[in-house]
Parts: sequence; C-alpha cells; structure tokens
Amino acid sequence: MFETFYPQLIGLCTGALLLTSALMVWRHSLLASIRLLALQGVALAALVAVIGIAEGESELVLVALLILSVKGVGLPWVLAHQSKASIKQIQESPRLNPTAALLAVTLLTILSYVVVSRVFGLGDTTTGHAAPIGLAMVLIGFLLLISRRRARSQLIGFLLLDNGIATIAFLTSGGVPILLEFAVSLDVLLVVLILHVFAGRMRTKFGGTAVDQLRELHD
Amino acid sequence: MTGIGAGLLLQLFLGALAVASALLAAPSLRSRAGGILCTLIAVTGFVTGLSALLGATGGLLIPIALPMDPLRLAPDRLGGLFMLIVSGVGILVSLYSMSSTRGPDASRTAWVAMPVFLVGMQLVPAATDSVSFLLAWEIMTLGSTVLLLADHASRATVASAGIWYSAMSQLSFFFILAGFAVLAAASGGTSFTNLQIEPGSWAANVAFVLFLLGFGGKAELVPLHVWVPRVLPEAPSHVSAAMSGAMVKIGVYGALLVCVRLLPDGPAWWGIAIMLVGGASALYGILQASVSSDLKVLLAYSTTENMGLVFLGLGASMLLRGYDATAAADAALVAALLLAVSHAAFKSTLFLGAGAIIHATGERNLDRLGGLGARMPVTAAAFGIASLGAAAIPITSGFVAEWMLLQSLIHGGRLDGAVVSVAASVAMPLAVAVIALTAGLALLTFVKAYGIAFLARPRSRAAADAREVPPVMQLSLALGALFVLALGLLPGPVAALVAHTISPNPTAAVQSVGLGGVSLPGIGAVLDPIMLVVLSALVAIPVVVSIIVSGRRHPHRTVDLPWGGGGSRARPRMQYTATSYAEPLVRVFDDVLKPSRDVQVTHVAESRYLVERVEVEQRVSDVFETRLYRPVLNLFQRYGIVVRHVANGSIHRYLSYSFAALLIVLIVVSL
Repeated sequence: MFETFYPQLIGLCTGALLLTSALMVWRHSLLASIRLLALQGVALAALVAVIGIAEGESELVLVALLILSVKGVGLPWVLAHQSKASIKQIQESPRLNPTAALLAVTLLTILSYVVVSRVFGLGDTTTGHAAPIGLAMVLIGFLLLISRRRARSQLIGFLLLDNGIATIAFLTSGGVPILLEFAVSLDVLLVVLILHVFAGRMRTKFGGTAVDQLRELHD
Repeated sequence: MTGIGAGLLLQLFLGALAVASALLAAPSLRSRAGGILCTLIAVTGFVTGLSALLGATGGLLIPIALPMDPLRLAPDRLGGLFMLIVSGVGILVSLYSMSSTRGPDASRTAWVAMPVFLVGMQLVPAATDSVSFLLAWEIMTLGSTVLLLADHASRATVASAGIWYSAMSQLSFFFILAGFAVLAAASGGTSFTNLQIEPGSWAANVAFVLFLLGFGGKAELVPLHVWVPRVLPEAPSHVSAAMSGAMVKIGVYGALLVCVRLLPDGPAWWGIAIMLVGGASALYGILQASVSSDLKVLLAYSTTENMGLVFLGLGASMLLRGYDATAAADAALVAALLLAVSHAAFKSTLFLGAGAIIHATGERNLDRLGGLGARMPVTAAAFGIASLGAAAIPITSGFVAEWMLLQSLIHGGRLDGAVVSVAASVAMPLAVAVIALTAGLALLTFVKAYGIAFLARPRSRAAADAREVPPVMQLSLALGALFVLALGLLPGPVAALVAHTISPNPTAAVQSVGLGGVSLPGIGAVLDPIMLVVLSALVAIPVVVSIIVSGRRHPHRTVDLPWGGGGSRARPRMQYTATSYAEPLVRVFDDVLKPSRDVQVTHVAESRYLVERVEVEQRVSDVFETRLYRPVLNLFQRYGIVVRHVANGSIHRYLSYSFAALLIVLIVVSL
C-alpha cells in the first residue's frame, strides 16, 4: 500500500518545496514570504517523515519532528515576531522584476537538473531522481540573497538556501545523523536570532534595513 | 646544548621578558625596564655573535615554531659577525633609549616593538634555512614598522613614511621570497646547505637578480632607496640609529649570503652589476646628503652612500675572484665588511647625536642650529669623532676600511704584473674615481654637518637655550665614538678576525701587524695607524711647543678695532648656513639634482626700483622619486580608481560575485 504511494508522496513533497521556493521569489510581501517559509518547513518535515517510514528508520521520524518544530514553527515565528499589522505593510522592492525573477528560477532549475544528471547521475531510486530539487533550492536561495534589499528578506533567502542543503542531504544519503541535524538546526536558529537583532539595530540606527545603504566601514 | 644555542635561547627568553615588562610595567618604569632588558638582549647577542665569529659551532632548533619545518638557528662565522654588528648597535641604542624616550616614543606599543625588532635582527643572520630566514626577516620588519609609527598621531609625515616603508619592505620581502623559491625549485631543498646550485644556470641568474632587488632594497641602494629619506628622519632617533646602523646591515648580510655562500663563483656580470649599483648609490647618496640642510635627511642619504661603497667592494671582490686574483678579492671583501662594521659604529653614533640635538633643541634643520659645541660638549665630541669616521679621516674606522678598499681596487686589476681582464682594468679605475669623488663630497658633507650645527653662533632661540643631554645618553654616545676611534687605531685584530668569515685561508689575505696595524700580504700594503699617530705627534710636538713658548714671550693683547672691522657687529644671520654652504655644490651638480628654485621679490610701494625683500626658496627633491616612482604610482592610482567600482562595498555586489562564480563552476563541471 505504502510502496505504491511512496513515489507520489516524495514527488508531492519535493514539488511543494520547489513551488514554495518559486513563490518566495514571486511574492514581495514579507508576511507572505514568511508564511511560504513555514509551509516549506512543513513540506521538508513531511519529506523526511516519508523517507523515514519508507526506510523503516524511527530516528528519521524524530528528525522530521525536529525540523517541523524548528523550520515549520520556530523560525517563522521568530521572523514574524512583530505585530501582524505592521509586518503586513512591509513590501520588498526587489532588484529583479517578478517576470525576470521567475524566468531566472526556471533557468536555475533546469541548470540544477543538468548538473546533477551529468555530474552525479540521477540513479534509479525515487529519491535520487528528486535530488536536483535540492540544488535548485540552493540556487534560488542565492538568487533571493542577491536580489532582495532588506535584511530580513535576505534572511529568508539564507533560510531557503539552508533548506536546500538539507533537502539534498535527505534525498541523496537518507539524512545526516540526528546529532548533526540537531546542531545544524540550532546553529541556523542562532544565526537567525543574531541577524534578527542586527536588523532591529539597523532599523533604529539608520531608519531602514536596506542593505544597499551600508557601503562604508565605520570605527 | 652548545653555548651558541644557550645564547640564542637566552635572547628569546629575554625578548619575551621585555615584551611582558613593556605590557605590565608602570609608565614611569617602562623606559628604564625596557632599556635594561633590551641592553641585556643585545649583550647576550654580542657574546653569542662573538663566539660564532671566533669559530664556535652549534645552534638551536625549535620544532614547533613553524607549521611545516622547525626553526633552525645556527650562525656560522659570517652570521656571527653580523650578529655582533647588530647587537653592538643594539647596546648603544638600548642604553640611549632608556632616557631618551618620552611621550609616544615611550608608549607600551613602542616598548613591545623594540625587543621584537632587536631579536628579529639577531635571528636573521643566525638562520640556517630559508624559511627561518624569512620568518626572522618579517619579525624584524614588523618590529621596525611599529617603532617607526610610534609618533604617527601627532605628525602626518610619520604616517606617510610608514606607508612608504611598509610598501618598500614588502617589495623587498617579495623579491627575496621569489629568489628563495627559484633556488629551492632548482635545488630541491630549503636549507642553505641544499640551496647551492650551478651559478651559470638560468635559475641562478634569475635568483641573483631577485635577491639583488630584495636585499638592495633593504640596504638602501639606488633606486630602491626612496623610503630612506622619509623613514629615517621621521622615526625616533634611537630607532633611526638601529635601522641605519643595524637593519641595513642585514640587507648587506643577505647579499653576502647569496654572493659568497649560496652562489659563489658567479659569472662576471654579477660583479659588474653589483659594482654599478653600488657606485651609483654611493655617488647619488652623498650628493643628496651634501646639499641637504636637514640633519637626519643628510645622515639618511649618507647611509645610502656607505652601503653603495660596501656593495662596490663586494662587486669588485666577485669580479676579481672570477679572474683568480684571490688576494685582492679577499681584501676587497674584507674591506666591504670593515666598512659595514665601521658604518654601524659611526652612523649609529651620528644618529644618536642627532637625536641628542633634537632632544636638546627640538630642531633638526641645520639652518636653525649652531653654537651647540659649547653647550653640549660631550655630544659635540662624540658627533665630531663619528663625523671624522663618516668622512674617512685617518685614525677613525672609516679611513681603514676605505683605504683597504682602495688598495684592493688599485692593485686588483693586475695579477703578477699582467692585466687580469679588460673588464677589471676598466672597472677598477672607475671605481677608484667613484670612491675619490665620494670621499671628497663626504668630507664636505660632514664638515657642514658638524660645523653648522656645533660651531659658530646659535641661529635660533632653541639652539641658544640648548643643554647637555642626560648622562646615560652621553654614555652611549661616548661608547660609539670610542669604538670608532678604537677600530681606527687598532684595525689589525678586527680585520684579521673578519677575514676568517670569508676566506678559507685568511692569513694570506689580511694580517695583523705591529701594534694593531693591518697588512695585506697579497697586495703588499701596510697600514699602521698607531705609528702614524706617533709620527705625526713627533712632528707636531715641536710646533706646539714653539707656539706655546712664543705665546708666553708675547702675552696676548686685546685689540679693539675702531670700527670693528665689520666683525664686532656680526650677527648670527651673517654666518654661513647649511644651505649657503652647499650652494656651490647645488650649482655644480645642477643636472643631477634638478633643484626647484622659487625667487619672490617684494618691491617698495613707492618705487619699483627699490626692493623691500627678496625671498629665495630652493627644494632639492629625489630625482628617482619624482621621475620613477611618481609615474608608476599615478598609473596604479588610475587603475585603482577603475577597480574601485568592482569592489564598491555593496553586499549585493559581493554576493552576486559568489553566485556568478558558483554558477560558472556548475556550468563548467556539467559540460
């Protein structure tokens, strides 16, 4: 029963991951991006859970719960920590218009398929076939990093990149040991907290979080 | 552990102690504690260097100092000689700095840098492989840079000097590193014993040029000397003394290491190239020194001159050795080494004397000094003796060295009565002419330096109010002057000892004769300064006695001229100044120096025919800087402005670079 659904489930999860990534590039509102990030966290957790059940490893289910709590709930909550009313008004004015950005996402996805199939080979497992999604997420995250002006939007790009790396890890090697995963999750949480505080300081000091204005070093 | 190893270890320990004391001691104690510990470091280095020079072997191996190789220290005789030079200067400088440093010169940073600098300089000649050598070299450069920058906050020129110094030091280091890399690639080792390769090969030629550029830059040779007139005057005087007296010698040591130890018996053009560079440096340096009216700039350029002479001797020795004129070659090399030793003695004394003048008056412009002889007798005596040394007058160390160099050059072109080669027979007389001109100009220069500063009447309030410096500074000045005299009067033992460092058969080259005299058996020349002194005393005593006797017979009468003869109303402004003294020279060497003159005539308001005031301003700039360095720097600056757009500080741009690089890598690997 489960074996028949397994490829579809993997496809569903990775599809959700890719779709949320593409939507993050498309949407300009910060709140929408955060919600998409939460959704992506849930999709990633689901993917890990599916792999865990298929391989019969209870440890992976634990990891899935960890991911759900950190990436699905914790990080988005930290990011959206302001009152909903004020965060709704934050609109990103990216350096790429949506059409060009979506075109770039398409190209990056194609590139990652080409790279993975040429360099590593797709293999014959279901997860191996889905591996290029992870690389595509990394590249899209990078695209977000360079195309967004605000510190917090860049942070979302960084988290997307991190999700991409995790996706590659789970799809190609069945995940990393739980201790490592735990440490990485904590690290990411720490980075996000620091950057969050940093963005807050920037806002009070310069009146905005547009990174473009930070060009000169000061003592 | 051998004695030398223990000495080196003790030096490192004392260095660490000095750094700790600089960090922890109270400001009132810092200079004294630092000075005493640095003196101890230098004394330890002196003993270690002396025992290495006398032939003791052994060393120190520190396994964990470098990532790949252990730090290997084991000075040979030549290294010992240079350790001796460096530590000798170190003793003078440390004693002096104990009471001379004040304000920013006595800061915690400066006193941390001082032992680092001293120990770094000691380790360079002790190193036995290229990696240790380069490490010690960098420690030395780092220490000196920090010391130079002690006073950067209050004077903008110091910061500019610091930038020049760092840039030129790094350039030197780059060339030396490249030279060692070429040698190591060709020979397959980094230890000095492995680095020797066939001197005719292309690798040896490339390495030679790289080393000449690198060590020549440190030894202040033209055209890499441009940092000298900026750095030495702006550094605190005890640091200038250490740099000019000791650090520059490390450049000489490097050149000797390459030409004598690593790549001996090079082709003839090596010797000729070194002679050319040395001769040009000697002439250009002394010319600039002779027209300078800033005391420390004068001393700085004179350092270039002296190092030029050292390299002239080295080049002549290499050229002569190529034609088997071994005795003359050895004599020229010993002369070069003696020049280095004597330069260390007199130039550090001169710089310390200049420091004493600045300490007492706050002035280093000769045009505003004068009359210090009566006010600062000890400084005046020490500076005077060191000036005699710098002008190579008999009974001082400078004379012995230049005499020996001239002897080897004059007799070197012939072997058993036959001309050894066309190159040598052309190069040697030319070199003699260069030395003659240099010696004449040096005499003028130091007559000016001493006469304008210490004789006549004070030309400014500050000079009139000068007081003698504290006793410790006087002591260090006196020690330096004493050594200049000692080396001049008893050159034999020192020369014989120095000959051991470069020749397997030292007694054939140089011998000590009589009461400390020196003889060159291969050439057949003898110099006995003590005999000279006795002889001239024999001549002088009757004259002096007759003058005294006649003075007794005709007691002195005061003659007061009715109109004063123009002499009774002489004012300080009527005296020669440094600028007016050098004026004829500026005219004679106008084409080389290219001075810029600015004459401003102010007329009286009522009539154009009457002049109220004439102002003349003359600046002598460094031709190499304006003609060679400025264009290159401007070019770099122009490209720098273009390149600035590539790295404009925008985070997005930097991230885009990484992203583009990642994409390119991905595309390339998937092709």
